[in-house]
Amino acid sequence: MKGKRIETKSIQEIGWLKLDNAAKLFPAIMSGELTSVFRITAFLKKPVRFSAIKEAVGITSRRFPYFSVSLGSGLFWYYLEYNQKLPRIQTEEKIPCTAFAAKRKNEPLYRILVKENRISVEFIHILTDGGGAFEYLKSLLYTYFILTGNTIHSTEGIMLPESPIAEEEMEDGYKRFFRKNTPPPGKLIKAWHLPFILNEKPRLNVIRSEIDLKKLLELTRGYNATVTEYLVSVYLYSLQKIYLEEKEEVKKQKRGVLRIEVPVNMRKKLPSITMRNFSLFVLPEIDLRLGIYSFEEILKIVNYQLQTGADIKQIGRFLSQNVGHEKSPFIRVLPLFIKSMAISAVYRRLGSNQCSGIMTNLGVVKIPEEMEDLIDSFEVVPTPPNTHVKISCAMVTFRNQLRLDFGNISRSTRFEMHFLKHLTEAGVPVKILINN
Amino acid sequence: MSYCANCGVELDKDLISCPLCGFSIGKATVSETNNHSEYYPSDIILAHKKESRRHIWELTGIISFSGIVVCTIVDFVIHKSLGWSLFADTSIIAAWICLTLVLLAFRKYFIIIPGMLLTILTMLFLFDLFSPPVNWFYGIGLPVTIALFVAISIITILWKVAHFRGFNILAIAFLVLSGFCIVSEVFIDKYLSDKVDIRWSAIVAVSILPIALVLLFIHYRMKKGKRLDSYFHL
Repeated sequence: MKGKRIETKSIQEIGWLKLDNAAKLFPAIMSGELTSVFRITAFLKKPVRFSAIKEAVGITSRRFPYFSVSLGSGLFWYYLEYNQKLPRIQTEEKIPCTAFAAKRKNEPLYRILVKENRISVEFIHILTDGGGAFEYLKSLLYTYFILTGNTIHSTEGIMLPESPIAEEEMEDGYKRFFRKNTPPPGKLIKAWHLPFILNEKPRLNVIRSEIDLKKLLELTRGYNATVTEYLVSVYLYSLQKIYLEEKEEVKKQKRGVLRIEVPVNMRKKLPSITMRNFSLFVLPEIDLRLGIYSFEEILKIVNYQLQTGADIKQIGRFLSQNVGHEKSPFIRVLPLFIKSMAISAVYRRLGSNQCSGIMTNLGVVKIPEEMEDLIDSFEVVPTPPNTHVKISCAMVTFRNQLRLDFGNISRSTRFEMHFLKHLTEAGVPVKILINN
Repeated sequence: MSYCANCGVELDKDLISCPLCGFSIGKATVSETNNHSEYYPSDIILAHKKESRRHIWELTGIISFSGIVVCTIVDFVIHKSLGWSLFADTSIIAAWICLTLVLLAFRKYFIIIPGMLLTILTMLFLFDLFSPPVNWFYGIGLPVTIALFVAISIITILWKVAHFRGFNILAIAFLVLSGFCIVSEVFIDKYLSDKVDIRWSAIVAVSILPIALVLLFIHYRMKKGKRLDSYFHL
């Protein structure tokens, strides 16, 4: 599948960019709590040197000019306006993934956070997804290490500051691979949601855990499953436990489907090097109206659903449906404020009701060994979940360590307890880390 | 090399404060400092909201000023003197001052409420002055406006101090409203006939009382503190 190329000029020449298909949702739904912001952190072995990180941010940001944009509002759509502004370098707050003043003129849409030995990047989803943000962070870390006097010989997997900027890096992958006349995916019934009471604002709480990868791999190999398949199954199994503990029978009968949203990095499925959003979802589910499932049964279902759901033909149906909506002449001529209200209403009624949980796996961090030696660990804090889903989960693997973070906006930690207890009972050591 | 005691980052030797959090290091010269409003990500959001309020204030100022000019010119051209435009101009100015208080003294209720009271009293006093020979300001305008602001102040204070804002606040608001109606009728009767005869306000109070009781019952017994914002959200 080659797809049609869209952008042909550099951002400096064009001066602005259309939002990619996935980004179009976020300006309409984002708020002080539902910030649509995610964080990726690198824990270095030494404290961060301010002067070096400042210089590194300047160099790296010039390599990623399509991130030097702010959100502008047109008559029909929001757009990204090139402004050459560097991201702010700030210190961490108590709560991660704080909102951006994205609708402020010339406001950058990503920030660099520095504290002690930690370098974090926080991106708003309007700009890019975890894949794009990780490329930026890797490039930033490389530049920072060079500036602090380290020598890195191998540069495989790093977008070097001096490397040429390809036009395809800022393309809208969704539009490129859109195919007309693809049948839309089937309709989904509303999913069951965790019955927890929400926290007072600011709601987000992060529970950080470290999992022994070696032991986890031994375990998953025994089941002939991947880490993602295994952990998604644990997610569903933990949700089922809470479902069974719930007393309100009426609610349970109404909504008996437990469904998890698992983002898929489309760059790995299709030949695109875009640095903007390019992920879609697979939605593994179990229907509890059919009965209670054992863990092994769930794993079998998840294994099948993740493999068939992530198949390019199947997932392409979501892509074509989403781009199809955007291309509809009726939707295109609607003024922006009406469009925003409509998107927000549809999201509240349908989007946020479709899944019971979210699990993002950013995969294994691949960086040169010389860089690996300077870094302790990586961490991903997921975007704050909406008030239906309440808990989201993100993970990343670095060396023999899997970091799993739960973003929770409810008062209960019962879900995390069930999830991590399942792992420890299966013989995988889990360490809960201090919440900074 | 020195370290910021707050952020823990390594700083250059000539820095006197941390550029990330503003924490003072206590050295000789400054080479890198940020605007204080940019130390934390959430400061930007607050600054943005303040800017937006200022833009609304400026825009409404231009619209109000244009309205005053248009009303005054039209009135003067048609009648060769100023008549109805005095009322229109005074109303526009009062409305704009009230909006200014809400936007610029954002959520500072101890400034907003007395400021609005003074503005409205001045507006009513001027209305009274523009329409001789009827003198209604001291008889009705002043006491009823003060009663209304006392009622608003009571509800605002309860709203601020209440741990759980739900139907309980709505019930108290209804009760305060019925009290306001009684006070208003007393002053209206006194102004019109010099004789107090409470009628309609008593009917309002008697009708409101059961509603308030039902709301209190819902709040404390049935809904166990249901929040107003989530209950009424669109």
